[in-house]
Amino acid sequence: MPQFSKDNLKNNESVPLQRRFAPLFLCGLGLALVTACGRSPEATDGGENNDTRTVTVLGAVTGGQLDDLRAALAPFEEQTGIRIIYEGTDAFTTLLPIRVDSGNAPDVALFPQPGLMTEFIANGQMVPIDDFIEQEQLTQAFPEDWLALATFDDELYGVWLRAAVKSLVWYNPQQFAEQGYTVPTTWDEMIALSDRIVADGGTPWCLGVAAGDATGWVGTDWVEDIMLRTAGPEVYDQWVTNELPFDSPPVERAFTIFGEIARNPEYVPGGGVGALSTPFGDAIQGLFTEPPRCFLHRQGNFISAFIPDGVDVDEQVDIFPLPPIEPQFGTPILVGGDLFGVFNATPEAQALIEYLLTPTPHEIWASLGGFLSPHRQVPPEAYPDELTQRQAEILVNADVLRFDASDLMPSTVGTGTFWSGAVDYIAGSDLNRVLSRIQGSWPDPEEGVY
Amino acid sequence: MDRLEKALSSAPVHIAVIGIAVLWTIPTAGLLISSFRYREALTQTGWWTVFQEPLNFAQFHLGNYVDVLTSQGMGQAFLNSLVISIPATIIPLFIATLAAYALAWMQFPGRQLLFVSMVALLVVPLQMTLIPVLRTYNLLGLAGTFLGVWLAHAAYGLPLGIYLIRNYIGSLPADLIEAAAVDGASHLKIFTRVVLPLSVPAIASFAVFQFLWVWNDLLVALVYLGGNQNVAPVTLVLRNLVGDRGQDWHLLTAGAFVSMFVPLLVFFALQRYFVRGLLAGSVKG
Repeated sequence: MPQFSKDNLKNNESVPLQRRFAPLFLCGLGLALVTACGRSPEATDGGENNDTRTVTVLGAVTGGQLDDLRAALAPFEEQTGIRIIYEGTDAFTTLLPIRVDSGNAPDVALFPQPGLMTEFIANGQMVPIDDFIEQEQLTQAFPEDWLALATFDDELYGVWLRAAVKSLVWYNPQQFAEQGYTVPTTWDEMIALSDRIVADGGTPWCLGVAAGDATGWVGTDWVEDIMLRTAGPEVYDQWVTNELPFDSPPVERAFTIFGEIARNPEYVPGGGVGALSTPFGDAIQGLFTEPPRCFLHRQGNFISAFIPDGVDVDEQVDIFPLPPIEPQFGTPILVGGDLFGVFNATPEAQALIEYLLTPTPHEIWASLGGFLSPHRQVPPEAYPDELTQRQAEILVNADVLRFDASDLMPSTVGTGTFWSGAVDYIAGSDLNRVLSRIQGSWPDPEEGVY
Repeated sequence: MDRLEKALSSAPVHIAVIGIAVLWTIPTAGLLISSFRYREALTQTGWWTVFQEPLNFAQFHLGNYVDVLTSQGMGQAFLNSLVISIPATIIPLFIATLAAYALAWMQFPGRQLLFVSMVALLVVPLQMTLIPVLRTYNLLGLAGTFLGVWLAHAAYGLPLGIYLIRNYIGSLPADLIEAAAVDGASHLKIFTRVVLPLSVPAIASFAVFQFLWVWNDLLVALVYLGGNQNVAPVTLVLRNLVGDRGQDWHLLTAGAFVSMFVPLLVFFALQRYFVRGLLAGSVKG
């Protein structure tokens, strides 16, 4: 037994205890307060506030783009009195399946690509748009091609909001004028121009493939664009569904043509390694340095958000469509886009879809810049600057329209092995090995989508 | 001469420690410097280039911080983060301390098995629980409420908390507990009067861990609470500042330090509780 005197123990405990627990009591008080007033009515998933009608929307649009989206949807809220409760997160692809599987689906989701819809449609979790919208309204609003892109099993599931045009080559007209270069109209002319730039001591292509955990999509976009130009749209469609395997000659050819540019240290600053270590948003800056780090940059219309502030857009930035390779396929255009899909066809959600079929929201966002709409009734003058008008023109005049293939393929390939395969190929891996690896990862149709 | 010898013999250790500390701080220092630079400079050159002209203060500005702090919903987001973090720290702390005492000093059958199975939960990835828990929350009407997030965070934090605090409480001298028991103290009294005051270092450590984890969490809040402006924590608002194509990533530099501020305050406030040697002299050896 240790010799403890009670007095000792007493002294030890009585003084500091109150002091020591004061913070705890305070915290407890705070906790009680927070619990009392911490339940915000808007945090709940509807049902509690019946005085205003609401529609919940989950989307991947965030940041500055979100302000534009809100502006485009504002007239709807004013006219109908329905409040849109929008949740925006870049973890959209993670969050949406969790929400839907747990019975907590948003009324409407704004998908960054239609490929993400397939799983929900296969599980019968989404409501077809044509259940409550007349066919005529749809055909008036969107071109056939775009409607087809949002159609699964002969039923339309999506209403388009935003289009992205990917088959654009950006260049600096000032530099072109200084050097006496002209805009190429065929692939061969473009390669000849690249060689001439090399002969003049320059580097022709800006290429940046790094994009965090999405690294590789820039490479797949290139391959898809070339695929459309060398094999044509029919073969491209077979490739998307894997009727045409990845290790077949047409795909091999497309990769090889891409490699002739991307793996060539004379064409790309730093060659393949340079391309892989350049963030995709930084690559375009090479057009505006003095002397230019590079002269040509193939990238979608959204790259305009990355053009440095000091650049005079009217004078120093211009585009031309990525030129054709096989003349019979003309100039196809590779597109991406955002579309709304419906999980709960509440009257409010239906009203929102009706509104999205009118040109109003599209025109509002178009006037704010940095936005292209696939909507038919948006006139070219709705776009604020010449550059965007040109992009809209390229979109409308496309011989063939095809959606980004990696966005349509199963996610194990489209956002997985195809991306990493493109990275490996740029880094110098053997092409046959890369292609057979991608083909080997294609999921068995029997096993569902995962 | 003795002191010189001492200094010489301990020099390599000091140099190694300082070296590691410097190495460890470099990325954070780089981030701090970056957060004061202009957007163009950030995307064109590395942060170390500022040392080429160290006295040129024109290359720095507070714009990134201004943008972050005045961006829409930032004040609300800070409030939300506090509303989420404080209860989500206190609840598991309270439960874990009680459980740790019981597992360490109360005699009941299956005690060790219970302890081991709780610690085993450390290896279960929380992502596996998202859908089942959210389903249950939907049934109970807890989805999208702060209470739901507190409970989720408390549950995710408990295994580590019980493990840490149980080990600390278990290492207290048995003589102390026995002496109190002999004097007629009940378990509750022993817990509040003897064990709790002595366990403050372990409790403070776990409080810091849990607070940091909850404060920096994005996924749990997003899943159980949703991402709308009224309930979104700082992490979510910062993430969304960047834009959906990451075009404004330069704001993340300043954003990181803005969101670091609160956890640092918590850390330094609890610093004085990490006192060792509280037990010195309490028991005769």
